[in-house]
Amino acid sequence: MREFEINLEELSPDVTVVHVAGWLDAHTFEYMEQAINNLFDEGKVRIAVNLADVEYVSSSGAGVFIGTLSESHERGGDIVLMNPTEPVQEVFDMLGLSQVFKFAASPKEAMKLLAKK
Amino acid sequence: MSDSHVTDRLEVVAHTRNLAIVREFLHSAIKRSRLPQRDVNKVVLAVDEAVANTIQHGYEGRTDGTVVVLIDADDQRFTVRIRDNGVSYDSAKGSEAKANIDMQAHITAGSKRGLGLFIMRKVMDEVRYTSREGDMNELTLVKVIVSGQ
Repeated sequence: MREFEINLEELSPDVTVVHVAGWLDAHTFEYMEQAINNLFDEGKVRIAVNLADVEYVSSSGAGVFIGTLSESHERGGDIVLMNPTEPVQEVFDMLGLSQVFKFAASPKEAMKLLAKK
Repeated sequence: MSDSHVTDRLEVVAHTRNLAIVREFLHSAIKRSRLPQRDVNKVVLAVDEAVANTIQHGYEGRTDGTVVVLIDADDQRFTVRIRDNGVSYDSAKGSEAKANIDMQAHITAGSKRGLGLFIMRKVMDEVRYTSREGDMNELTLVKVIVSGQ
């Protein structure tokens, strides 16, 4: 089982996909936070986070998205979540994140949601 | 004592890298218990939140302490006790105020505070904290087993 892994994919010059795999918990959340903050520093503020391979998320993991969504907006961007697994969706529902975040089922849909207005 | 009585004990060094070991231990004990499948992820999550709080706040980043997780489950209740010798940190505190969460306010403020506690209160039926200063802190989490659903 993979503990934690992050891979970046540039969908377009404007949109980056962060592919996450493994457990997003109080031990690994800082790597995720760092990855998003690095993208912000590079001016990449339209971000899709692919959660298809995330087996587990705790409040620390979910907290990364809570902590970075506003900042992405302030920088003129947005964060879209893709394909959460059932246990991850369960935690998002519990915390009320499902009502706050936009969700995409495919990179194409994420591109559409992240398109500049 | 019924056949479904399950007891188990795990002691880990107070470091977040051991949260995965705690979750694995929980899954293993739950498999031997009568806890219904629909509650498995919830109980594992609540205990993970409690142990993470203990490591991050009770030991304040120190890694020379340990956390003990005790399971005691029967037909009616799945009980988890989390013991540590760190600073008294009442994870059960503020429970009434956390009956609901204003996620939009959290997002606006970029604040993650209190989410673990909220989850514990939300998914468990009882959350109790006792502390003997300088000796031992104990957080008790109980999930009532409702069968036949």
